[in-house]
Amino acid sequence: MRLLVLYLLALLDGLLCGVRVSMGRCALIHKRSYYARALVRGLLGAQAVSTIALLALLFAAAVSSHRAELRADLEGAASRMLWIFVPYAIAVLGSLALRMIPSTDLRSATSVFALGPFTAIRPAIMIIGALYGISASRLLETRFLGLFVLILMLSLEYFLNRSAGRQQVREIHQLIGARD
Amino acid sequence: MFRAWNPAQPEITDLLVRHDAGTLERLPVRKQDVLDVFVGFRNLQALRAVEALPTCDGFLDPLEIDRLFVTVHWEMQRLSEEFYHGPRVYEVVRALIATIRAGGFSGPLRVVDVGCGIGYNIRWLAARTPLASQGVELTGVDLNSALVAEANRLSAVEKLPCRFLYGDAFSSDHSGQIYLSTGVIHHFRGGGLLDFLRRHQRPEAYAFLHFDFQPWFLAPFGSWFFHLLRMRTRVSRHDGVLSAARAHSADTLVQAARAAAPEFASGIYGAKIWHTPFPRVFHTLIGVRRPLLPKLKTHLGRLAPRLGLLQ
Repeated sequence: MRLLVLYLLALLDGLLCGVRVSMGRCALIHKRSYYARALVRGLLGAQAVSTIALLALLFAAAVSSHRAELRADLEGAASRMLWIFVPYAIAVLGSLALRMIPSTDLRSATSVFALGPFTAIRPAIMIIGALYGISASRLLETRFLGLFVLILMLSLEYFLNRSAGRQQVREIHQLIGARD
Repeated sequence: MFRAWNPAQPEITDLLVRHDAGTLERLPVRKQDVLDVFVGFRNLQALRAVEALPTCDGFLDPLEIDRLFVTVHWEMQRLSEEFYHGPRVYEVVRALIATIRAGGFSGPLRVVDVGCGIGYNIRWLAARTPLASQGVELTGVDLNSALVAEANRLSAVEKLPCRFLYGDAFSSDHSGQIYLSTGVIHHFRGGGLLDFLRRHQRPEAYAFLHFDFQPWFLAPFGSWFFHLLRMRTRVSRHDGVLSAARAHSADTLVQAARAAAPEFASGIYGAKIWHTPFPRVFHTLIGVRRPLLPKLKTHLGRLAPRLGLLQ
């Protein structure tokens, strides 16, 4: 159950990463379909990361001589991680929910005082959450898996951003090159 | 970092494109000339950003500069979107239009966005409001032909009822009844600010509203943090923060407007958030023909308290 919640949080993080890297790269006014595609890319990226993490977990379980202990240790680490990740996710979703209120000042304030800072601390939250999660682990496998998943999640936004950046460069070269 | 915030220096983008003042023809720009400006200010951040720009025989590659400008302006549009700038512009433009109509003007009205860049304000107004269908012509004017071309391309893609023009917004061809701008007015310094405002005193002009950063001691720090998070190019990270540092105070803007454009009652709109002492990120220099002032307050309705003293 706890691993499932972590998986859902990873998908949520992927969705938000997808949108974040796409922002500022399309200057149309109507962008619903553009952002929908960005969400799908982020979701697929998070799913890919989760699949790799799951394969690593299954491999660790397959080669482990103490599966039951590993499972309990992993669940314990996941529980501790959730103490960090869930409040962060609630804070982010709460800020997004505030933007439903039709006040330009309030909506802008969520960018300045909430979503911006939350974006800034995302890597730190991930590192703190993962390290706190594995800090009390008894097994080396759990620690390796925790660090492996941390690296995967931190690299997700980097790769999504790189991909979106390349796409943008191509698009702008086509636009400007075509004109001259 | 703080040398990059020295308001005495120009922004990088101010120096990357030059035009002949008479013909508006684009002139080549020597990279070393740009570097020399920032060497004088010991601004290492700007020097690094300019050093990275591609050249042809020592001159900035115009194609690459155009690409950079479009990239930067796409990023800037993101900030406008996050700050809900379109609705902010509309709430005042709508009141101004109602005021002008109530004053007896029944002809076609033109809103001109001065230094429109890729035309976010005008395209937003065209896409999200009924202004065009109400006979309001939405136009943007800029001196950067690459940005004007991009603005026209974007509006064509979405079939928006607006247009963008290259040239002088105050020329007889491009002039209008309402002038607006965003993040432009701090580029005019000293006598340039007075000249810019003086040019609003055309017989056909009824009002102006110029949105810009509101200076206060935390603005450059906030801008630095926000640009670090949201902007991706070195140039926009540098210029965005310097813009906040260079922004004119309300006093400077109001005094300049009253001195240079006395036919308008001018003041500041939207300086504080919800009657608190906290400043909005942007404030607005607003000016209206004096006979229209009482009606403007009526048409602003619940927003009227945001209007400072106009005289």
